[in-house]
Amino acid sequence: MTNQLNAIERLAEVKQERMQKNLKARYAKEKRFQVYGIMSICLGMAFLAMLLGTIFYGGASSFMTSEIKLTINYDPDVIGVTDLTDEDELKWADWRGLLSTSLAERFPEVSGRSAVRQRNALVSSIAEYSLRDRLLANPEKLGTSEEIWIVADDEIDAVMKGQVDRTVPESERRITDLQLSLIDSLEAEGEIRQKFNTTFFTAGDSREPEQAGIRGAMIGSFYTLLVTLLLSFPIGVAAAIYLEEFAPQNRLTEVIEVNINNLAAVPSIVFGLLGLAVFINVFHLPRSAPVVGGLVLTLMTLPTIIISSRSAIKAVPPSIREAALGLGASKMQMVMHHVLPLAMPGMLTGTIIGMAQALGETAPLLMIGMVAFIADIPGGPLDPATVLPVQVYLWSDLPERAFVAKTSGAIMVLLGFLAIMNLLAVYLRKKFEKTW
Amino acid sequence: MTTNTNDELAQIFEGWSSTVGKPTLKDNARMTTRGVDVFYGEKQAIFGVDLDIGKNEVLAMIGPSGCGKSTFLRTLNRMNDTIDICRVKGDIHLDGDNIYDKKMDVVNLRARVGMVFQKPNPFPKSIYDNVAYGPRIHGLVTRKAELDEIVETALQKASIWNEVKDRLDQPATGLSGGQQQRLCIARTIAVSPEVILMDEPCSALDPIATARIEELIAELSENFTIAIVTHSMQQAARVSSRTAYFHLGRLVEVGATDKIFTAPEHRLTEDYITGRFG
Ligand SMILES: Nc1ncnc2c1ncn2[C@@H]1O[C@H](COP(=O)(O)OP(=O)(O)OP(=O)(O)O)[C@@H](O)[C@H]1O
Ligand SMILES: [Mg+2]
Repeated sequence: MTNQLNAIERLAEVKQERMQKNLKARYAKEKRFQVYGIMSICLGMAFLAMLLGTIFYGGASSFMTSEIKLTINYDPDVIGVTDLTDEDELKWADWRGLLSTSLAERFPEVSGRSAVRQRNALVSSIAEYSLRDRLLANPEKLGTSEEIWIVADDEIDAVMKGQVDRTVPESERRITDLQLSLIDSLEAEGEIRQKFNTTFFTAGDSREPEQAGIRGAMIGSFYTLLVTLLLSFPIGVAAAIYLEEFAPQNRLTEVIEVNINNLAAVPSIVFGLLGLAVFINVFHLPRSAPVVGGLVLTLMTLPTIIISSRSAIKAVPPSIREAALGLGASKMQMVMHHVLPLAMPGMLTGTIIGMAQALGETAPLLMIGMVAFIADIPGGPLDPATVLPVQVYLWSDLPERAFVAKTSGAIMVLLGFLAIMNLLAVYLRKKFEKTW
Repeated sequence: MTTNTNDELAQIFEGWSSTVGKPTLKDNARMTTRGVDVFYGEKQAIFGVDLDIGKNEVLAMIGPSGCGKSTFLRTLNRMNDTIDICRVKGDIHLDGDNIYDKKMDVVNLRARVGMVFQKPNPFPKSIYDNVAYGPRIHGLVTRKAELDEIVETALQKASIWNEVKDRLDQPATGLSGGQQQRLCIARTIAVSPEVILMDEPCSALDPIATARIEELIAELSENFTIAIVTHSMQQAARVSSRTAYFHLGRLVEVGATDKIFTAPEHRLTEDYITGRFG
C-alpha cells in the first residue's frame, strides 16, 4: 500500500471542475452548430421565396385576360358569304370585316385611315377566327346579330392590367392616345372586362400572346412522360432486380455498375444527341414527337431509377429473404412476394424523382426538334409537340410584353406539376409503407 | 492446406483422430452426413463431419462461438447455397436421397427440411398469411377450408393458437418476440417437413418464452426430427436426446445427452461443459 494517489484517484479530485469547463465548451459548440444550421435553412428558404415571388409576381397576370363587349352582326354582305357550306366562297370570306364594322358602329366618331386602324387594333388580330368558328358551328346565326365578348389585343390587356404608364409621351408607347381614350370610354360603359384566362389552358401556342396557351405543351409533356414512364419503370426495376438478386458478383457486373453510375452523371444534352443520331437518323422516328422525347428521357432517367431501386432492394432485411428461402420459396418467388413489395416505396420515390427531372428537362429535347413552333394540340405521341420547359424557353425569347408574363405563367404551371408529382411520391410512400 | 492450420489449432487437435462416441446410427437415420467439409472461399469452416440424425430425435449441437454449428446446420437444407463463396464437399443424405445431387431440387428439399432462425423473422404480412405462405407456394392445398385447417393446426402445434386466433388478419410484426418465434415455428411446420433445423431459436427470448419453446420442441419431436443449435447447455440437456459437440470445425464428440453432460470422454468436451472455455 502506498500513500501516493494513482492517476484515477487524482483525476477524481479535479474531475467535476474540469468537466464543468469542458461541458460549457461542448454546449457552446452545439449551439453554434445549430445556429449555422438554422442560418443555412433560412438562406435556402429566402432564395426559394425570392424565386417563387418573382415568378408569381410576373406570372399572375397571365392568368387574366381582357375582353371587349361588341355587337356582332353576321351580315352576309359584310362577310361576303351566302352559303356557309360552299368551300370556295368561304376561302374569300372577310371575317375581319365583321369586327371592323362592329367597332365602327360602336365608335362612329372615329374616322381617318390611321385612326380606324388604331380602333381596329383594339381586338385581338385573330379574334376573327373564333368568330368564323362560332358561325360555322351555328350556321343559323347568319343574318342575325348578337352581343359577345371578344378577346382584346395584348397591348389593350396591358393597359387594363395597369402595366402601361400613361404619362410617357405617345411616341414612346405601343398604344396611342386615341386607343387610350377608346378604352376609357369602353370602361365607363362596362364594356371591357378582365376575366380568368381560359385560353391559356385550352389553346396551343400562338404568335399572338392573347391567344397563346400551354395546352399543347401540357399534352406534349404528358405524352412524353407517359412514354418515359412506361419504358423506364419496368426496364429500370427489372435491371435493378437482376443486378441485385440474380447477377453473379464478378468483373462484368462491376463494370456495369460503374457505368450505370457514370450514365447518371452524363449531361442530358448528350442523350439528346444520341436520340437524334439513333432514333431519328437510324430508326427514322418522326422528328419533334413525344415518342422520341420519351425514348431520350428514358435513357436519361434509367440510371436514376436503377440506382434508387437497387438501394431500395438492398434495404430489404436479409432475414426476410432467408425466411422465404428457408420455406422453400424459389428465388423468383422470394423477389416477387417479399423483396419487391418491401422495396416498392423506395422504387416509386426514385421513379417519381426521375420523372420530375424528366418533366423539367429541356436540353435533350431541343436536339430532337421538340423546340419547333407548334400551334396544334398533339393528338398522340407521334404528333409533333413541344413540352412545358421548352415552351418556357420559347416564350422567354419573344419580344412582346405579354409573353414575359406568359413565361412566368408557364413556369408556375410547370412548378405546379412538379409539386403534384412530389406529393404523389410522398403519398405513395406512405400508402405502401402502411401495408408494412 | 487451409489457413486454419496455426499452432494453436495444431495443439488443440493434437491426438484428435476422429469423433469420440457414436456419430452414426445403424438404422433409423433420417439424415446422414459423411465426410462433410465446408469452405468459405479459401477458409475451411467444417472438417470431415460424419453425423446421423435419427428419426424423431432431437439432436443438440453445442460448441464455442465460431466453431461452425450454424454452418453445419445450414448445409443440411442447403441454405449455404445463398452464400456465393460457400462450398460444400462430402455426402449428405435425407432418407436415402443425396441432397447435393444435381437431381435434388432445393425448393423441394427445403419443404422437407424446414428451418427456424436465431432472430424471429416473420414476413411483414398478416399472421394467417405467414403460416399459409409455405402451403401456398408449394401448391399443397386446393381449397380455402383446407388451408384454414392447416393454418389452425400449425398454430396449435406451435402452441400459439389461443393467443392469435382472434387476430389472424393482423400484422405478424405486431406480436411479441416470443410469439413471433412460435409463429415462425408454426410457419415451418405448416409445410409438414420431415426435419426441422433450429439455429439458437431462443437466443433472442426471455426465460418464459424460452421455456415455452422448449416445451414445444419436446412436443414436436413426436412428429418431426429436430436438429437444434444452442449456446445453453441447460437447454441442450432439457430438450435433446443426443448431443454433438463441435470445436473449431470438427465434430469432437457425440453421444446420449445425459452421458455427454455427466461423463464426457474427450478433454475438449469436458473443458467446454465444465465452463473452462466457450
Ligand atoms: N458468410 C461467411 N463468410 C465467411 N466466413 C464465414 C461466414 N459465415 C461463417 N463464417 C466463418 O465460419 C466459421 C463458423 O461460423 P458459424 O457461424 O458456423 O459459427 P457458429 O458455431 O454458428 O458460431 P456462433 O455460436 O457464434 O453462432 C467462423 O469462423 C466464421 O467466421
Ligand atoms: Mg451460429
